[in-house]
Parts: sequence; structure tokens; C-alpha cells
Amino acid sequence: MNRFIIALVWVVFSSAGLRAAGTDAGPVKPAARASWVMNFDSDWLVAKGLPEKIMLLSLQGLANRAAPQIYVVHPKEFQWEITGPLFEFYQRKHGVVFTEVKTAEAALALFSHHAKGYVIWEPAVPATMNVAFTIAGLEDALVVTAEQVMQVEKFGLKRIDDLRGRYTGQTDAQIYRDAYARYWARCTHDSIMLMGGHVGAVRMPAMADWGVRQKMFFHDLSANPIHPEEVALGKKLFSEMTPLGTVFGWHSYGKDTEEQHTTLLSGYGLRMEGLHNLPNLSFNCQFTFTPGFRFTNNHQVALDAKLTAQQKVYISFVQSDSIGIGVWTKPGRGKLPFGWQVTVNWTKFSPAALEYFHESATKNDYFIGGLSGPGYMYPNHIPADKFELLMADARLLMATLDEHIMEIMDNSAADGNVGNADLTKETVDRYYKAFPDVIGFINGYGPARTRDLRDTRAMISYDYYIDPRRPREEVAADLNELIAINAKRPYFLLVHVRESNDVNSLVEITKQLDGPVEIVPIDAFLKLAASNKTYTTRYQDPADPKHFKGF
Amino acid sequence: MKFTFWKALGFLLVLPLAAWAANPALAGRWRLDPKRSTALDGWTAWDLVVSLEGTRVDLRHDMQWRATKLTATNAVDTAKPTTVPDFFRVEQRHMALYPVRGALTPMRAEWLDSERTLRVEATPQIESSQGTGPMRIYQELRLIEGDQELLLIELHSTRGKPLVYRFTKVIGEK
Repeated sequence: MNRFIIALVWVVFSSAGLRAAGTDAGPVKPAARASWVMNFDSDWLVAKGLPEKIMLLSLQGLANRAAPQIYVVHPKEFQWEITGPLFEFYQRKHGVVFTEVKTAEAALALFSHHAKGYVIWEPAVPATMNVAFTIAGLEDALVVTAEQVMQVEKFGLKRIDDLRGRYTGQTDAQIYRDAYARYWARCTHDSIMLMGGHVGAVRMPAMADWGVRQKMFFHDLSANPIHPEEVALGKKLFSEMTPLGTVFGWHSYGKDTEEQHTTLLSGYGLRMEGLHNLPNLSFNCQFTFTPGFRFTNNHQVALDAKLTAQQKVYISFVQSDSIGIGVWTKPGRGKLPFGWQVTVNWTKFSPAALEYFHESATKNDYFIGGLSGPGYMYPNHIPADKFELLMADARLLMATLDEHIMEIMDNSAADGNVGNADLTKETVDRYYKAFPDVIGFINGYGPARTRDLRDTRAMISYDYYIDPRRPREEVAADLNELIAINAKRPYFLLVHVRESNDVNSLVEITKQLDGPVEIVPIDAFLKLAASNKTYTTRYQDPADPKHFKGF
Repeated sequence: MKFTFWKALGFLLVLPLAAWAANPALAGRWRLDPKRSTALDGWTAWDLVVSLEGTRVDLRHDMQWRATKLTATNAVDTAKPTTVPDFFRVEQRHMALYPVRGALTPMRAEWLDSERTLRVEATPQIESSQGTGPMRIYQELRLIEGDQELLLIELHSTRGKPLVYRFTKVIGEK
């Protein structure tokens, strides 16, 4: 019965779309297609809202296997703020006609036929959530707690597996070793799901739909050397992945650091795509760019242009935390020239999102490639034999996105966003060789001191990182101090804007700066920096302190 | 001639006395009160531990950034200028300004205001994106009435805005 209703709705919407497309005299409207939307709340408490969300995410992954059927809109305070704007974009540009599904019960009524059964996880043993997600992908199962069994059995679903008791008292290393033995061979090896992130009372596996859809192996193994058994298993998994594969998700906030995990996977030539709560990839991956759409960046200078710097301070702002998070949707965008680092891999699995960003860009928004390559990775640790292959992919993706600047970040030796974020000379050499046709490179996240100029291509590191919590008057004082210390003119002051800043506050800061200051777009900034090298050439010095010395 | 001799003698006597007249109330552990201080950048906690021995004053900084802990000591002498290796500056860590490894930092210190204020001057070499150069740092550590609070005011030759830090005495911790 449910299948009949779905088919009927599909036919009605599809035929309506065909009529619309055929009769409009104006721009061709996309054919209508039916999808469903769920509005999630902010309750990710393990003891409260999480189990239902986990069940729904596994359902989303299965229902979206063959067609984009379920989309989730998150509240505005959710870290990924674009789910609402993208929801509107799908309707407007792709003709998606969404029907709201208000309850889990209703979602099961509509889509449970995509599942063959269910698997029970045990909240008291957190790793069982990830093992259950792995099983969900392989066996087409919904992931439920014992309390949800009756709910799913009402829809005719049978028990496929029950993890209760199987792993009681075991360490995560033991649990994932068992999961490896049971499931890894059947999982995709092109990618893996590092479902870490929040731990404890709150967990937020909003990316799980994607892992279930793609039959990934889920885990949250530590990359912290204090957990040698977990590191060893993580290395084994990475070594058995398809070369240049992708690690989706994010490291566990309770076990290791972003720096440790990204260092580890970079050592295998893999790329990171986060975060663990990036939603809707199972839906997004099924939309291509709209017909006729082509990325055109707001270039301020041509690739071969020559600019001459004046005796002043040039400032450029860049936001590199992936444009889906933060500043893009905050007030004031467009008031200042801004560089936006695009995770170029999204071309492959979230093209509509990229099109949305480009469509809503102002003339002051300029896109740059990154992060370090075709995905997030630390280049000081990428094996030499994989570097060129990865960067060849990055070049293709940047060409598609009409991007002329590569942003690099290597925090392997840093301590969060402070400390050593520099590139070795060998790494710098590789980038100059791999990207002969870019305007230049930028480096860092927090401040760094890798700088170079070869032919017309400057490599400039961030001289300042704006912590969103830092009082604005102190930010202005910091910038003025940099301007005072770097007394030669021109001075090229590259500023990284953390995701949760807003542009309006930056406008106020720029009004408080001393001296002849000009805010310029990042492409013009790098061209100007190439015209008068007032900065030193510097690479990572082996004697520089390293917070994490690697594996 | 005699007057000049006695004046000089008196000066020589008085200067060392002033230099020796350390205020023991400054000694001990002081903990930053972040709510009443200039915002730290890249540090989450700061204890200033002051030790006095004759004319020598050790200013130890127990710093914390998340789980990372760092301890560094700047030693000054109120009787004579000194030069210290590896001068530690509580820097704004999101600025690309770095200490120059191996550089020596000239330092001077003096008791003021009836030994209720310790003035410290240092000129470390700082690496910026354009090279290295000196930064003059002027600090006053002022004991607040009651000796349970300490005010640290810091000026940079390169910064238009003073950094003002307030500390509270920590009893029972070394």
C-alpha cells in the first residue's frame, strides 16, 4: 500500500513537472520530482533524542540509495547552517517538491520497505553504534535500540543482528577488531567512516546516512599514540583502503586530536572530508549541476596580470573552515572582499551545495581551492609517490570550479590553532611543481611563517587568525601591532577569519586600523605580493618546536 | 669638592639599599583573573609565580593552553641590568610574531613607589614576516592595597593599547 502511494505521488509530481516544462515560455523549469523532508530538532542526547535520529539516519541512507528521497533540515543553530538554504535551492533550481514527514512513525510508514530488517545497538557500549551502522549498510538494516524494536517490527522488519552483550566489557580496540574481521572485507574500500566527534552524553552522527548508503566501515579509532592498539588497527584499515581514498567523518573529541588523525591519514595519501555531522550527503550526491550552469569565479585579476604594489598595507581576509559552516550565512557578507576556501571534493558528492554557494556569491566573494589538495590533508606527511596523483585530482577540481589559488594547511606539528603550522621546503617545492598555473598559494590556519616567491607565484602564510571570541578592540590592536612591527611598505597582511565571525564586525575593525591600509581580494593580494617581496623566505625549520612529532 | 664626594657616597649607599629593598608581599603565586583582564589570546590560564632572593627577582610564568602546559622564567636583577636568553613573552599567539631563538634580551628592573611597584623593561628580538627587530616592553607590577591583588600593566613600543592584567594571590600553592 505504501509503495503504491509513493509511486502515485511520484507519477503525479513527475507529470506535473513535465507539463510545466513544456508550457512555460520563459526559462526552462526543471522537471518536478518528489522528495520528503524531515525537520530535526537539536536534541542529540544519547539518553533522549539520539536513538530516534540514529534510526532515521540509517533509514535515510537506505531510502536514498536508489533515489534522493529524504532530506533533513536542521535548526539554524546547527553547525552546518546551509540545510535550510539548500532546501530552498533544491525546490527552486531542481524542481524538488518536498512533502514534510513529521514523525519517525510516518518516515517508517513511507520508507521502511527499503530496509530488510534491523540491528540493535547498545547505548551503554558506545562503539556498538558504529558497528551497527556498518551492519546497516551491508545488510540494509535500520539501527535501533531495544526500546525501538516494537516500533520497527510493526512495519514488518525482522531482527538481523543484536549487538547487546556481544561487546560488553571489551575495549574499543577489541570491538573494532572483531568488526574488522566480520565486516571489513564486504565494505567499500574507497572510503571509510570515522564516526567520532562528540562523545559522552551527546553524539551527533549526522553523516551516518552517507556511510550507510555507501556501505562504509564505521569506527572511531583513536590516532593518539597513547592508544597503541587503536592506532595499529586504524593504520591497518588505512593501509588496506583504495589508494587516494577518502576518510569521511571526524576524529573522536574524546580520544585524539584533529591534528593527530589528519596526520595519520595523510601518511597514507588519504583525504579527509568532515565533519561527522555533515548532513544529507546521501541526498546531495544525487544532484548534478543544473543544466547550463558553469562556475565562474569573481576574479579581480587575470592569471597573467601584473600588478604593482604601492607603499601601503594590503590586507586580505580568507575563511577556510569549509563554506558550509559559519560566516557565509552571517550578516554582512559582501561588504568586504572575502576569500572562501571551497572543499573541492564537494564537486563529487555535493555539487548542488557548491552551485548554491556560487549562485549566492556577491562580487566580493571569491573562491579558492583546498584544503591542501583534493580534500583535507597535511602535505608534510603525504608520501612522495602519492602527492602528484592527489594534486592532479586537485587541479582538475579547481579547474571545474574556476579557482586560481590553492590553500594549504598542515597543523601536524601545531597545538590546535596555535604553534607550528609551517611547510617543509620539500613540501613547498612539490606545490610549486604541481601547480604551475595558479596565481599563488596561501598557508596556515592559525598564523604561520612559511613564505616564498617563485616566478610570479607568491606563497603567503596567515599573519593573523581572528578568534571569534576575541574582543573586537583587541583584534584591531593586534592588527595595528602587526602593521607597526612590519614597518616596510608594502606590507602584506593575510588574515584568517574563523568560521563563526561575522563580516559586520570585521568592517568595524577595518575602520580602526592605522596607516595607509587597503583591503583587497585574495587574488589581487597575491599578485601584489609577487610584485614587491618585502617578506622573508622561510620554511619549517627542523629546530622549530613541534607539539606532535608524528607517528 | 667635599659636597660632591659626600653626594656621590650617599648616592652609592642609597642605590644598593633601594635595589635590596624588595617587597616580600610580591612573592608567591598569582593567578590571572581573566574577567578583569585584557583577553588572553592562545592561552587559557596564566599563573605568575614571583620569587625574591636579594636583588634577584624570578618571574615565572605557568601557562596553559587547553591541555598543554608551559613554564618559563624571566630572571631580573634590581641592582643591575641583565641579559637573558630565551626571554618569555606572554604573546598574543594568533599573531605571527615569534621569539628569535638564541637571541639575548636586555632586561632592567627597579622597585618604585616604596617598593610596591616593580618596573621591568625588556627588549626582546621578535621575528615577523618581514624579518627580525626589537620590541620594547615596559611592565609595571603593582601591588594593590591589601597585597592580595596584583596589577600588571604592559606596554609595547609597537602597540597603541596597553595590556592590563589583574591577578589574585593564591595561598597554599607553590
